[in-house]
Amino acid sequence: MKLYCLSGHPTLPCNVLKFKSTTIMLDCGLDTTSVLNFLPLPLVHSPRLSKLPGWISKDGSINLEKELKECAGRVFVDAQPEFCLPERELLDLSTIDVILISNYHCMMALPYITEHTGFTGTVYATEPTLQIGRLLMEELVNFMERVPKAQAATCWKNKEVQRMLPGPLKDAVEVWTWKRCYSMQEVNSALSKVQLVGYSQKVELFGAVQISPLSSGYSLGSSNWIIQSHHEKVSYVSGSSLLTTHPQPMDQSSLKNSDVLILTGLTQMPTANPDGMLGEFCSNLAMTIRAGGNVLVPCYSSGVIYDLLECLYQFIESASLGTTPFYFISPVANSSLEFSQIFAEWLCHNKQTKVYLPEPPFPHAELIQTNKLKHYPSIHGDFSSEFRQPCVVFTGHPSLRFGDVVHFMELWGKSSLNTVIFTEPDFSYLDALAPYQPLAMKCVYCPIDTRLNFHQVSKLLKEVQPLHVVCPEQYTQPPVTQSHRSDLMLELQPPPMPYRRCSVLSLPFRRRYERVYILPELANSLVPSEVKAGVSVATVSAVLQSKDNKHTLQSVPKPPPVAPSKKRKRVIEEPPVTLSPKPLLSGAVPLEAFLATLQKHGITEVKVEETAEGHILHLQAEDTLIQLEEDGTHIVCDNNEPLRTTLRDLVLRFLQKL
Amino acid sequence: MDRECVLILPRVCEVLAASGSSLPDDTSLEKLLDWFTTITQTGVSLLEACPCLLDFLSNIAFNSTSGPSILSFSLKLAGLIGASEDGFKVLEECSVLGLVFDPRHWQEAGLWEDPCLRIGWIQGLKTILQHSKALRFFVQAGLIEPLLHLQTDSSLFVASAANQMLAHVLLLCESLSSVGCNGTKERDLEQNSLSMETNQNSSGVITKALEYLNKCLVLKETSQLSQSQQILKLLTQLLVQVSTPLLDKLLLTVIDSVEELVTKSCSQLTLPLMDVVLAANSRLSDDHDPKQRIGRLLSLMLNRNNPVDVIQAAAAWLRSRQYDPVHTAHCARVLLLPLDIVTGISLLDENSTAEELRILMTEQLKSKTCFSMICVCLTNIPQITLLAPDCLPCPQRRIVSAVLSLLKLCCGDTSSSSAGCVGAFRFVTGSSKVQKCSMEALSALSKSPEVEILLPEVFKLLTEYLNSPSSDPSVLQKSYQALINWIGVCTDLSCITGLLREDLIQAVRKRACDMRWEARDSTVEFLGHLAELQSCRTSTGEEREPSNSLLGGCSFTVPLLKEALQDLESYVRASSISALGQTLTLSWQQGAALTQDQVEIVTRLQEILSQDSEGFARRAVVKYFIAWFSSCSSPTSCSLLVQSVPTVLSQGVADLDWEVKLHTLELAELLLDQAFPNPAPPHPYAMMSDQSHRSHTQDKESELLSSLNSLVDRGVISALFCFLVDCDRPVALKACQLLLKLRHTVCPLMVSAADTRVPCELPGWTWVHEIRKIQGVNKDPHTQEGSHIGFEARGEAVEESTSAEGDSVCVSVCEVLRSLDLDERLSILTQSSDHIYNSPLSLLQDIITASTANSHPNAEPGQEVIVDCY
Repeated sequence: MKLYCLSGHPTLPCNVLKFKSTTIMLDCGLDTTSVLNFLPLPLVHSPRLSKLPGWISKDGSINLEKELKECAGRVFVDAQPEFCLPERELLDLSTIDVILISNYHCMMALPYITEHTGFTGTVYATEPTLQIGRLLMEELVNFMERVPKAQAATCWKNKEVQRMLPGPLKDAVEVWTWKRCYSMQEVNSALSKVQLVGYSQKVELFGAVQISPLSSGYSLGSSNWIIQSHHEKVSYVSGSSLLTTHPQPMDQSSLKNSDVLILTGLTQMPTANPDGMLGEFCSNLAMTIRAGGNVLVPCYSSGVIYDLLECLYQFIESASLGTTPFYFISPVANSSLEFSQIFAEWLCHNKQTKVYLPEPPFPHAELIQTNKLKHYPSIHGDFSSEFRQPCVVFTGHPSLRFGDVVHFMELWGKSSLNTVIFTEPDFSYLDALAPYQPLAMKCVYCPIDTRLNFHQVSKLLKEVQPLHVVCPEQYTQPPVTQSHRSDLMLELQPPPMPYRRCSVLSLPFRRRYERVYILPELANSLVPSEVKAGVSVATVSAVLQSKDNKHTLQSVPKPPPVAPSKKRKRVIEEPPVTLSPKPLLSGAVPLEAFLATLQKHGITEVKVEETAEGHILHLQAEDTLIQLEEDGTHIVCDNNEPLRTTLRDLVLRFLQKL
Repeated sequence: MDRECVLILPRVCEVLAASGSSLPDDTSLEKLLDWFTTITQTGVSLLEACPCLLDFLSNIAFNSTSGPSILSFSLKLAGLIGASEDGFKVLEECSVLGLVFDPRHWQEAGLWEDPCLRIGWIQGLKTILQHSKALRFFVQAGLIEPLLHLQTDSSLFVASAANQMLAHVLLLCESLSSVGCNGTKERDLEQNSLSMETNQNSSGVITKALEYLNKCLVLKETSQLSQSQQILKLLTQLLVQVSTPLLDKLLLTVIDSVEELVTKSCSQLTLPLMDVVLAANSRLSDDHDPKQRIGRLLSLMLNRNNPVDVIQAAAAWLRSRQYDPVHTAHCARVLLLPLDIVTGISLLDENSTAEELRILMTEQLKSKTCFSMICVCLTNIPQITLLAPDCLPCPQRRIVSAVLSLLKLCCGDTSSSSAGCVGAFRFVTGSSKVQKCSMEALSALSKSPEVEILLPEVFKLLTEYLNSPSSDPSVLQKSYQALINWIGVCTDLSCITGLLREDLIQAVRKRACDMRWEARDSTVEFLGHLAELQSCRTSTGEEREPSNSLLGGCSFTVPLLKEALQDLESYVRASSISALGQTLTLSWQQGAALTQDQVEIVTRLQEILSQDSEGFARRAVVKYFIAWFSSCSSPTSCSLLVQSVPTVLSQGVADLDWEVKLHTLELAELLLDQAFPNPAPPHPYAMMSDQSHRSHTQDKESELLSSLNSLVDRGVISALFCFLVDCDRPVALKACQLLLKLRHTVCPLMVSAADTRVPCELPGWTWVHEIRKIQGVNKDPHTQEGSHIGFEARGEAVEESTSAEGDSVCVSVCEVLRSLDLDERLSILTQSSDHIYNSPLSLLQDIITASTANSHPNAEPGQEVIVDCY
């Protein structure tokens, strides 16, 4: 059993598991942090961004004026942003049988894997994962295509050139795997390969293994996966949460008794408690609005935003923000808000019961009804005419490199009354803000990451008791900035197996058993005999048939009646069916009783020697040896067949026959 | 004693003695006993007053068919009667005494098993043991054995009562034998022999008791832990109470066993053992023989091998406030050791603490006991700060640094404690319990000498806590308190830089918008407390209020607090109102002109008083006006205040919350005091001509008249009249007291009623009805009509106003004051509201009624006696 690790990002994993005869890809996350090296794509013409100076190395030897621009003391690539893809050289992607998706954040690389690689398998995901994943991809494509940039920058990626570049560009890794965004057509094609599954539904893969998604409590439709054969069980834990937010709670008990547990997607903010951050978010928001400023919340169009809106719904009243407008701007804003209301079966119990009541499960519906929350596909169109300040704007993309957020950063960045509040933990906020410096606007970092923290995960592992744990190497040591915090790492016995990008791990367990079926007629013919209380044994003679990873014992076919052949004169011996096999023996020969029996039969001079395996009896008068061992008895007796037979019969007296 | 009670008591005794009779409720026997006790306390002989009790007792004693609660009651009653020598004699003569206090008698009846009876036995016996005759009886009947047996009774209550009883017996023996010794000279032979007998009895009892104590102290197996704890408690009690000769004897007997217990080092016994050692130590003077042994035990306790035990013992020593330079210094070191180890800031000189303890403690700090050890250490820091410098291993400044470093560790910042115990970090990080204890310790340390230099560091850390999103509301509250304490102590705030101030402003502003109401509440409270602090020196060297120099004063605070007046949570609204009061006090005192903000606040406060659904906020509003009125340099010249007071008073009268009403009365009292300031006492021998006397009186009268008129105008008088008939007794009482005060001031001088009619309007006729009701209750029925007429027929006193207001009533103040029997009213209001239902008579009646109801259960179904639960 092997695990191929195609992504080094612990929360955006992409691993391939070879188990029995199947090849299963676990998630295909897209690392988008690479976009931070690119210039923002402004929706409205920005004189500042269009007049940036090009970069020329100090000695003038390298001139990349067209590709690289200097902005706020840093160098950025002036091209359409590119993403860091999962490793594609480690194994042939066309051999992948299935892809299991655990949540909508972990599927953004799907088109890169399923298209143009020869992939012919199936993708399994829950319905909300598919639908919201589609929205996120659609949004991403839309953000990119709205601001087309013909130019592609490749010269800077040259190893020799990159070495000479300043700042973070110099240290960027895997730059040659960076790719531009996919097209809508590719998205549709990739998503057409998805087959929907429900929680705890069991899907057979080629009769070899069974896969089943379990609720993971992190987002709508998010799942962990169980991959099991009859005798082995592998659990795949991706972004999971034990907090009581909107999704169905995490199913922990089904993870018990795993041979291997692959653990990914723990919180990226182990020291920030989501509740504290939510409180921080609300108080900073209220403080800014009270002082007459605007609040910008760069966020994804699904996920934490539902919780933020719900929290604000309760907070608005108490903070007397009743008249402040909230805007949600995204090409998919409407669908996201609507979709969340209809996935009743994927919601937590509390919200599920609300489905049967007149009011919708999420309170953002009420915010929309009362005109407190308004949503628009983009800043163009209706929004521009209805826009009122001070206000709160939720919009993407959290990297601040594309999407409507770029416009608001340009618009509000110059006033110290305004605040930008970062809630998504995926990007370093300082890097995200880099091209907008100097900034007068206040910046507040309240990353809300509801995924498991180390304390929760060690409790979880104590409960489910997997034999082996595999996890990204980042989880096996404390964070670099807090090297003394031994509570911010996994401490397990046996220690977890770490992986990094491009690792190939042999998972440390051997398959020892395989289930074999016996056909009824064959089973009927068996004659069991009891060897000890409750244990019966029977001998079977059969033919083993293996097909579709299933093994069946069938009756031995009767040999076709041999056509009397004149050519062959050889006398046919008794047919094999009638030849009953020699009985199998079981039991042990008790030494004392055996010696007594020998004596009865006149063998008195016996010298007993104790060996590591058992005993050696030396019958001195007969010059014969009897070796009694745990799994065999030998009688060494030269040229005295009658004696050997007698001795054999005496030994057999003590043994049971089948 | 009430005659009626005496009359029905025999019937009650019958009822109680009749087996199977039920009682109105569980506490009635207790109440009956309380009543008897009060009777004996007045010096009356119980048997003389209620002879039927003796029959009752003998009836119970010889029948013993009653329920255990009645039996228990009888035993206690017998004790009460026998406590006097006469009563004892009577009981002895009719042989009740021997029988009721004989445990075998109850064992044979199978009743001893009931803990209720055993308690009765112990308490009865304890009450009776007041004189030598009782002691003789106690010894002769051999009651010491069963008493010792009860010391470790299965019922905790019984065991504890038996412990106290044993202590009582020993103290009695001690006092009787000392009296015996002193009195021998002048007594005759018979008495002499009597006292000798007493002495013998006493010493016999003492010997037996001490032997028993000594035997029980030795811990044979761990299952007897609770028994040992019980005995140690008893020992502590004895050590504190007994006088010297017995103390020596006691110590001599038990000290070996105590030492054995100390050396056994059983953690559960640490605290009780420490109590024993401390009690002994405090009782012994230095020249006393056993003092040295006790001192050694103390050292043993403070040097045990288990760090948790040592810390507990050290904390107990410091708490006991006993002084011994060696032990105190040692304890301070022990208590500071966990802080030293965890933070890595060395508080102790290397050689001072046994290296062994440091190693053991370091190990313990890596486990879960870390919490409790650190918290014990922190909670004892206030004690440590009180110690003399020579008892401390380091200057207190260093302790402050260590606490600061611990607080940083709690937020995961280890920069200041690189030498600390890494194993403990994981327990400390994020623990709000440790944070709270540390904050309290930090507050206590603010008063330490020479710590002012650390203010910037403390200020920075506290601001970080206030800013931190992960701070628990309770931690936030403690941080604010610590900040107030430190700012309050420091006279020089010049060290607080602009950057630090900016951070604090940011934190306060953010917390004022916090999602959790507790955090908002603490913030608002902080602003109020800050405004109350004394002025201090700023960076520019001028004297300013801390609130001004740190937050920019009212221009920052008032808008925040005004915003908080709208808060959804009533506690926050209430806190913001009081904080506004505290903030504005200074400007009121200085008589500064009102700002637009203040005018708006008053409007908003009046809205709250009339509309807010929560009492807290409304109470705070009235208190705000009280504060304003009392701190205002000249209340009459502030027109807004003068205008608002009548509104506040009238709304206070209409309020449903009794505390709002009481506060309104406080405001009314302030107005009264202002109208009639206490005159300087007239010089007794001052000569005054008749002429001047008359004119003086006239002047006074007109002055009073105008004051009274102004009070009427402001609504004070009508408020007082309304409150007088209020359904809440404390309110009516206070109003009555104020009206009495008013009457004393006004009525004697206002003689010419016709000229000095001061009319006052009251809200309605209901008031008149209430007044009539009061009069009807108090007056004799025959004069009732007359009193009505007396009130009404004066014609001018009360007349129905036919003005536009409809049913308001106009009365003459002085007339009403005179006609109301305020003194009688006061005496009624002073009695508690249940004084009728709680009388002994009512109790006795209840008992009888309950029994009749019980004996005819089917007589009147549905007519169940509803028991009064008081």
